[in-house]
Amino acid sequence: MSEVVLKFEKLTKKFGNFTAVNGINLEVHRGETIGLVGPNGAGKTTTIKMIAKILRPNSGRILIRTDQSDLEDLQKVSRTTNQIGFLIDIPAFYNMTAYQLLRYFANLHNYPKDQIDKRINELLELFKLTEWKHEKVKNFSKGMTQKLGIIQALIHNPEIIILDEPQTGLDPLARVEIRRYIRELQSLGKTVFVASHMLYEISEVCDKIALINYGSIIGFDTVENLAHILKTSELNCVLLEPLKPSELESLLKKLTEKLHPYLDHDLDPKISMIPIKYFPEQQGLKIFYDGQNKSKGEILKILIKEFENDFTVISFTQPKTSQLERVYTEMVKNNKLNNGVVRKNGN
Amino acid sequence: MEIRKDYYTGLKPVLYTIVFEVKKQKKKFYVFVGITILIAFLVGYVLMSIPNNLLPDTQLDFFINGLGFILYLTLFAACLFFSGIICSEYSKKTGFIVFPKINKYKLILGKYFGNLTLVVAIITIYYLLLALLGFYYYGGPINTLLFSSYAIAILYVIALSSFVTFFSSFMRSVVVTIIVTFLILFIGFNIADGIVLLVLGDKFEPLYSLSYLGTLITGILHSPFPDPRYVEFTLGGGDGAFGGREFTIGQWITPSIGMGITLLLIYIIGFFLLAAILFKRRQL
Ligand SMILES: Nc1ncnc2c1ncn2[C@@H]1O[C@H](COP(=O)(O)OP(=O)(O)OP(=O)(O)O)[C@@H](O)[C@H]1O
Ligand SMILES: [Mg+2]
Repeated sequence: MSEVVLKFEKLTKKFGNFTAVNGINLEVHRGETIGLVGPNGAGKTTTIKMIAKILRPNSGRILIRTDQSDLEDLQKVSRTTNQIGFLIDIPAFYNMTAYQLLRYFANLHNYPKDQIDKRINELLELFKLTEWKHEKVKNFSKGMTQKLGIIQALIHNPEIIILDEPQTGLDPLARVEIRRYIRELQSLGKTVFVASHMLYEISEVCDKIALINYGSIIGFDTVENLAHILKTSELNCVLLEPLKPSELESLLKKLTEKLHPYLDHDLDPKISMIPIKYFPEQQGLKIFYDGQNKSKGEILKILIKEFENDFTVISFTQPKTSQLERVYTEMVKNNKLNNGVVRKNGN
Repeated sequence: MEIRKDYYTGLKPVLYTIVFEVKKQKKKFYVFVGITILIAFLVGYVLMSIPNNLLPDTQLDFFINGLGFILYLTLFAACLFFSGIICSEYSKKTGFIVFPKINKYKLILGKYFGNLTLVVAIITIYYLLLALLGFYYYGGPINTLLFSSYAIAILYVIALSSFVTFFSSFMRSVVVTIIVTFLILFIGFNIADGIVLLVLGDKFEPLYSLSYLGTLITGILHSPFPDPRYVEFTLGGGDGAFGGREFTIGQWITPSIGMGITLLLIYIIGFFLLAAILFKRRQL
């Protein structure tokens, strides 16, 4: 695995008696894209502000690898500005034109003078702001300001990019663009750290996700592993024809029997009471299985072979979004119940 | 050579910030220059053209007259250009974008010198106009004391700027900073001076007071330089308005030149350093 470029050690931030960030430990490797996901007020922005040295931690520390050297305490190194690009919270700019601002920022970062204009034009083009180059930011819409916020984080082509809810205020098209751009950054070998409260928005582009709630990291792993920790997984099967209501009950019984070894047997009653459900409108079955890839294969085999005469499966998918959302709500909920960290391999 | 280059690279962000700040405040500057020209025109031309308001006898007196407004001009300029210098980064949250890009000491140095350029330019324009009018009425040469006064005025406005910057470093909003600094500089020091004068009279020169230090701007124009610098007037007596009682009121006219300059420098450096330290420590 590549070297660690950013490391949190027991990072803690208190506001008075309130602990906003509570002893976070985390390692970010070069070239990784990490998502920091948690509900409103979880401590994402506070964490990022500490990386930016806008806030000082009460205890713990942040280590950073500057250039080729060893990991160093962030508080002790002064020359980090050119390595990291930040978008923190909702961006607010001095009321100047986009060009004046970007030029000033690029200069502050010591970006090669003869390349500044080219870089500005490229980024404005990419985010479709070219026409607004010489407009004052006062006249920008919320989404345009947000885009400029992302551009200023990237202006000096930093190695580490830290984005706090980059998709806030953007239209769907722009959201897709941002994800595409993050992938591009990945392919350039950049390290990306994105905070978001919308898990599905960033899960696709992230190598790993750190779930944060009440200032604590309650899970840090790949999306798949996180889902696995919580075991419950679901499969959606769409059928060619609707099931006859008269046969439904017996069929569901038979399904439950045949698929029994692969189903999830301690389902959260809030999610579902039974492991197999039929949705007439969608002509589909939802199967809560044990999350093993092997089981998935077995289930598909059984559905096709043993129910040949009952129905025809025309699609068999594992919905990423809802699965993720559930991982998320599950973790947040568990965290509240246990008031602690979700154990790995809880099964 | 290496070290020099390093210094230069280290200073570059300050220089960029100065240039950027000047551009940012351009509009405010133009408005202020307009007002400055208007005041100079009113004080130095319109007022002099009113038949009863006779032109002073000497060029120096004309300058002393014309500088009656300089204390207000410096005060307004310092308050309006410097009140937001630090606190707006916090209240408008522009710091989120700027702080990660530049060392805070360099940022404050850049912003400070940027605004200073503009404020000094405003004062310079006022003195230039005054000198021109002086030449117009009395012919050349311009009394060189005006240059001394100009130098003191520049020092004074820098001291005010440092003072306002200091307040900006811990205040929450720009408007409150303007109001508070304005009240302190405009009224606060004068009240304090009045009380000190009443209690201590000639035993204590109010050298702590920025307002008092500002009197050196016109004080230096007096030829010869006032001596003693503490004078007493007697009011009333006889059958006058005070029922026959006599009142003696003392006044410090101006600080001495050496002391005035020293204290202004202390104000300039002291308050700026305090502001920079507070700014460095302040979290967003
Ligand atoms: N300066 C501050 N003073 C007091 N409390 C603060 C301060 N900044 C943040 N907090 C509190 O710390 C907690 C975490 O805030 P933070 O902004 O880090 O949340 P977040 O995860 O970024 O949430 P969101 O998704 O809404 O942006 C919140 O409860 C917030 O009220
Ligand atoms: Mg936030």
